[in-house]
Amino acid sequence: MSVDSPARTDVVDDAPPARRRRRPGPRARLLEALGPERRAALRAPLVVAGGIIFAVFVIVGVLAPLLAPYDPKAISGNSFAHPSWSHLLGTNGAGQDLFSQLIWGTRFSLTVAVVSATAATLVGVVIGMGGALIGGWADSAANGLVNVSLAQPPLIAAVLILALAGPSITVLIIVITLAGWAPVARIVRAEALSLRERGFVHAARGFGGGPFYLLRRHLAPAVGPLIVAGWVDWAAVAVLLESGLAFLGLGDPTRVSWGTMLDGAFRLNVITLDKVWVWWVLPAGLAITVVVVGFTLLGVGLEPVFNPRTDRGRDA
Amino acid sequence: MSPLLEVTDLAVYFGGEVEALRGLTFSLERGETLAVVGESGSGKSTMASCLVGLLQPPEVSGSVRLDGHELVGASAETLRSLRWSTVALAMQGAPFNPVTTVGTQICEPMREHRSVSAADASRRAAELAVEVELDPGLLERFPHELSGGERRRATLAMALALDPDLLVLDEPTSGLDPFTRAEVVGRIKAASANRGLAMVVISHDLPDASHLTSRTMVLYAGQAIELGPSARVMGTPAHPYSWALVNAFPVMTTTKDLRPIRGLPPDPRAVPSGCAFHPRCTQSESVCAEKVPVLEESRGRLVSCHFGGLKTLLSAENVSKTFRAHGSEVRAVAGVSFTLNEGESVGLIGPSGSGKSTLSKMLTGQLAPDSGRVMLEGAPLPTSWRKSDKAVHRRIQLVMQDPFDALSPRLSVEALVREPLDLFGDDGRADRAAKVMETIESVGLPTSRAFVTSHTHELSGGQLQRVALARALIVGPKLLVADEPTSMLDASEQARLLVVMRERQVEMGLGLVLVSHDMAVVRKVTDRIVVLDRGEVVEEGPSQRVSTAPESTTARRLIEAAPSMSLTESSRHESPEPEKLIHKRGS
Amino acid sequence: MTLIETPTTTSETLATVEEPARRRRLPKRRVLVYLFTVFFLVTLNFFLPRTLTGDPIAVLAGSTSTGKGASVELSPAAKTKLMAYYGLDKPLITQYGHYLRGLAHGDLGTSIKYNVPVTRLLKNKVKWSAVLVLTAVGLATVLGTLAGIHSGWRRGKGVDRGLLGVFIAVGNFPAYVLAMFALVVFVLKLHWFPAGGAQTPYAHYALLRNWVDIAWHVILPAAVMSLNFLFLQYLVMRGAMVAELGSDYLVLGRVKGLSQRSLKYRYAARNALLPVATVVALNLGLAMGTSLFVERVFKYPGVAGLMFDSISNRDYPTMQGCFLLISVMVVTVNFIADFIYPRLDPRVSS
Repeated sequence: MSVDSPARTDVVDDAPPARRRRRPGPRARLLEALGPERRAALRAPLVVAGGIIFAVFVIVGVLAPLLAPYDPKAISGNSFAHPSWSHLLGTNGAGQDLFSQLIWGTRFSLTVAVVSATAATLVGVVIGMGGALIGGWADSAANGLVNVSLAQPPLIAAVLILALAGPSITVLIIVITLAGWAPVARIVRAEALSLRERGFVHAARGFGGGPFYLLRRHLAPAVGPLIVAGWVDWAAVAVLLESGLAFLGLGDPTRVSWGTMLDGAFRLNVITLDKVWVWWVLPAGLAITVVVVGFTLLGVGLEPVFNPRTDRGRDA
Repeated sequence: MSPLLEVTDLAVYFGGEVEALRGLTFSLERGETLAVVGESGSGKSTMASCLVGLLQPPEVSGSVRLDGHELVGASAETLRSLRWSTVALAMQGAPFNPVTTVGTQICEPMREHRSVSAADASRRAAELAVEVELDPGLLERFPHELSGGERRRATLAMALALDPDLLVLDEPTSGLDPFTRAEVVGRIKAASANRGLAMVVISHDLPDASHLTSRTMVLYAGQAIELGPSARVMGTPAHPYSWALVNAFPVMTTTKDLRPIRGLPPDPRAVPSGCAFHPRCTQSESVCAEKVPVLEESRGRLVSCHFGGLKTLLSAENVSKTFRAHGSEVRAVAGVSFTLNEGESVGLIGPSGSGKSTLSKMLTGQLAPDSGRVMLEGAPLPTSWRKSDKAVHRRIQLVMQDPFDALSPRLSVEALVREPLDLFGDDGRADRAAKVMETIESVGLPTSRAFVTSHTHELSGGQLQRVALARALIVGPKLLVADEPTSMLDASEQARLLVVMRERQVEMGLGLVLVSHDMAVVRKVTDRIVVLDRGEVVEEGPSQRVSTAPESTTARRLIEAAPSMSLTESSRHESPEPEKLIHKRGS
Repeated sequence: MTLIETPTTTSETLATVEEPARRRRLPKRRVLVYLFTVFFLVTLNFFLPRTLTGDPIAVLAGSTSTGKGASVELSPAAKTKLMAYYGLDKPLITQYGHYLRGLAHGDLGTSIKYNVPVTRLLKNKVKWSAVLVLTAVGLATVLGTLAGIHSGWRRGKGVDRGLLGVFIAVGNFPAYVLAMFALVVFVLKLHWFPAGGAQTPYAHYALLRNWVDIAWHVILPAAVMSLNFLFLQYLVMRGAMVAELGSDYLVLGRVKGLSQRSLKYRYAARNALLPVATVVALNLGLAMGTSLFVERVFKYPGVAGLMFDSISNRDYPTMQGCFLLISVMVVTVNFIADFIYPRLDPRVSS
C-alpha cells in the first residue's frame, strides 16, 4: 500500500466531518452540541444586540475611575447645578457630580448583579443537581427547600432582611442570591432527573461510565445551557432588585448606585422641580432600563438555543 | 359529468429543494374508493394535505379539482365552503382539540357551516356515533379519555358530520391492535357503502388498504408508479417496487422470511434521475437512469416502467428432453413451460426422478432441449460454449448438489473463488484479489490467510457449499440456479446457507431457481413453487398456497414427507401446517 | 423574568376513566407544602430580628445601634425593664410559644410610630392594596393575554414584531422609574390624575361618585404596575400560542373549515391559556412586591406603603407585620392557583 495513493484521501473525505477535525476546544464542542439551528440562534439580532449592550456597560463599569471626572461622593460644585461642560449632568442637592455618580453606579450595579447572579446560579446548581444525583432524602429536602423558596415574593423578604441587618453590599448580595437560586435549582433538578432515566445514560452506565463521566459527557451538555439561561435571567432581575432596594432607601449607604440616585432625587422631590428630573432621574432610570433590556434581549434571543421545542410550530 | 376529484400534474416542493410530490395525476369518480400506498416519505400525507387545500402555492403547482372547484390557489372562503361539506379528512393519529369534549367537536362543523341549532347538532352527533358504533355517552368525554379505537371512530363520526362527498383517511388504523383495527375497518367500510362515499385511504398497511378500496395507487418518491384494481395491484404487482412492497409486508399467509426492499428510500432532496426507483431496481438498464417513465397501460393496470413492469428473466417454453440409453427411452422432461420474473425466487420441487435436475440443466444452458426453447431476458439461451456466448453464460450461475464434486481439491479457497474471474478475463489483478475477499466475506466466510489458503478437504460441507456460492456470485450473475444445495448439509449448516443465499439474492437482485425435494426448505426461501412429477408440471402457485393447501397429490406427498416438529412421532404424518389454522387475512 | 417554566400541554396523557373523581380531591402534597411554607414564614418572622441584629430590644423598641434614624439611647436599667416587658429575658422557646399564641389571636405587636396595634393598622390598608393589585393584575392579564394571542397568531408578521419590540422596551422599565415618569408627565405636567392617595380627602361622595373617585385615583398607579406584568403575560401567552400553531388539532380545525375566529380563540388560544393561568398567580405575587415602589411614589395608602413608611421610621413591629401579611397572601394566592390550574386543563390529572 503506497502512502500517498489518492484512494486514501478519498477514504478520509468520506469520514464524518467531526472525525476529521482536530480535537475541538470546549467552546467549539458546546457549539457543536447545540446543532445548526441553535447555533444560528446565537447569531440572531436579539442576541447580538443584548451582547453589545452588556459589553458596553461592562466596559464603562471597568473603566469607571478613568471615565468619571469627579469622585462621586465629593462635593464638586454648587447644589442643583444645571448641566455644563464641567458637570455634564449637573449636580445633585449636595453638589455631587451626577455624571460621575452614573458612571460609578454602573460599576456598583453590575458588580452586584453579576456576583449575585453567579452565586444564585451556583447555589441553584449545587442544590438542584446534588438533590437529583444523590436522590432519596437529599432530593426530598432540596425539593422542599425549592418549593418553599419559590412560594414567596423575592422583594418582600429581601426588604425585611436588609432593614433588619442594616444595608451593606454583602447583605445586598446575599439577599439577592437567596431570592434567585430556587428557579435555577428547580430547572436543573428537573433536567437532571429526566436525564437520569434516559436510555443513553443507562447505556453509558452499562458501558462502565462512572459518575464523573456521566456528569461531564451527558449531564453538563444538557444542563449547561439551562445554567447560562438562568444566569442571564437572574442578572436582569438582580439589577432591578438592587436598584429597587436602593430606591427604597435600603442601598449600601457608603456607595453610589443608580437606585440611590433615584432615591435621593425622590426624597428631595426633584421631580416637582422643573427640568432637574431630566438630567437627574431620567439618565439613572434609563441606565437601569437599558441594562435590563440588554439582559432580556439575551434571554429572549437565547430561548430557542436552550429550548428548541418552543419554536417547533411552523406556520400551520 | 366531470369526476368528483381530478388531480393533474400535482407537484409539491418544500423550501425549493425537497420534492415531496412530483407530478401526480389521477381522478376519482363519485362513490369510488382509492388506496394510496407506499413507504414512509413517499408523499402520501403530503397528497392528503393537497386534497383538502392545506398546502398552497408557492409550494404547490398543478391542479386539484374537487367537484368542479380548483383547490390550488383557491381563496380562503372557497376552501372553507368546500372543507368538511365536500371533502373531509380524518388525520393521522385522530387528533382532537384537547380542551373540549368530543361531542362538541363533532357538532362544530354543523354549527359553523350549516348554522344548525345546538340541540339539533348534538342529536345528529348522537346518531353519527350510533352509526360508527361509538357509545353516544362517550361524546361527553374529553378526547384523552377515549381509547385509540374510540378516537378513530369518533374521528369517523366527525368526518361524516356534514355528509361529505369525499373522505380522505390518513392511516386510519395505524397504532391499533388487530381486533380494534378490524372493527375500525369494518365501520369505515360500512359507512362508505351506506352513503356511497368516495374515499381516498392512505395507508402503509396493505391488507387494510386493499380491503377498503376498489383501486390502489402505489406512490414512490412522490410519483404514482402503479395504479389499478386493488386485487390486481396487490395480488400480482407489476412494477418492481410494488412487487417488492407487497413482498416486504408481513401477512399471516406468508410462509417465507420477510424480504426487505433493497437499498434505502430515496432522499427527497436528491431524487434519482430518470425512474426514481432505478438505483434499487433489479432490472434497471441505462434507459432507466436517463428517461422518466410514464404511467402507461400494462397488464390490466397503469404502470410507470420502461419495461411495462417486472421483466421475465427466464422462461422455458414447452421444453422436452428424452434420454436414450441402451435402447430404452426415458422421457425426463415432457413439455414443461415455466417463467421466472426479475428478482423472483422460484422453487422447483418434485420427488426423485421427476425431471427437476434435467430441467435445471436446461435452464442453465448446460443441456439443450429436444424441443421447445429457453429464453433468458428475451433472447434464446445458447447451449454451445462459443466465446461470443460467454457474456450470456455469465448471467446464469449454478450451485450444484455436491460441493466435493464441484470444487477441485487441488485449489485453495482463494483460487477457487477467483477461477471464474480469471476465466472471464476480468481486468486488474489487484481488483480481482479485492473482489475475491469481498465475495468470500459476503457469503459469511472468514477472510483470514489461514482460511483462504486452505483446501477443500479441510472444510465442512456447509463451508464448501458457501465457497461454491461465492464462486457463482463473484461474476455478478442475474440468475442463480441451486440444485439441491442443502441436501448434503446438516440442519444448522443448511440454515446458514439458506440465510446467506436469500440475503445475497435480495441484495444483488438475483432471480433464484431452487431445485429441491424438501418442501420445508423451499417454502422458506421462495415466492412461488412449481411442482414436477414424471417430467410434467403438476401444480404451480404462490409458495404459501402450495405449501399449505396443495391441489396435486404429488405436492401433498411432498408436504407429508417434509420434516415437521411435532410432539409425538405418530402424529407426524397428519400434522397440519400451523398456517392452515389461522384465519386468513390479506391477499 | 423569562424564567417561567411553561408546562408542556402537548403531551399525550391517556387518562383512565376514574380520573375526574380523583382530580377533585385536594392534592395532599400541595397542602403540606403550603402549610409548611406558611409555618416557615411565621418562624422566619420570629427569628430574623433575633438573629440579624445583635440587639433585639433595639429592634423591638425602635432603637438601633447601626441606624441613623430617630432613636433613643437606652440606659441599662431601662433596657432590662424593656427586656422583661417584651419577655426577651425568657428562654427563646418560651418567647416563640408566646409569639405563636399572640399570632393566633391576631396580635402582631404594637406600632412604635403610631402606638396602635399593628393588626389595626393593617386592617385599614389591606382594602386599598387589594384594589391596587387586583386592578393592575387584571389590566395586565386582559391586555397581555389579548396582545399575546394576537402576536402569536401572526407570528413573524409585522404586528408581531412591532408588539414584541414595544413590550420588550416598555416592559423592562423598572416600576419605580416608570412611576416617577408617569408622575411627572400625567400628574405634574398634564394634571390628568390626582397626585396621590386613594380617595379625594374629606370628600364624602355618594356611592357611584365615590367609586369613580376611587377608580380615578387607582388608574395611574395600577397602569404603571401593570406594564411590568403585561410584558410577562404577553411573552408567555405569545410563546404558548406559537407552541400550539403547528399542532395537529389545529390543522384538523382548519380542515374542518372552521372560521379564523374559532381557530384563533376556541382552538389555539384556549389551549395556550393553560400556562398563562399560572402567570396570573405569579403576577399577583410580584405585584405585592412592586406595590412597594408604586405606593411610595403615588403615596397610595396600601400595606406596601405602610411597609415602606415603617422602614423609614424604623418601626420594626409594623414592618414585620406587613412582611407576614404580604408573604402569607402571596403564598396563599399561589396555592389557590395550583389548586385551580388542574381544573382548567382536562388532561392534567394530579
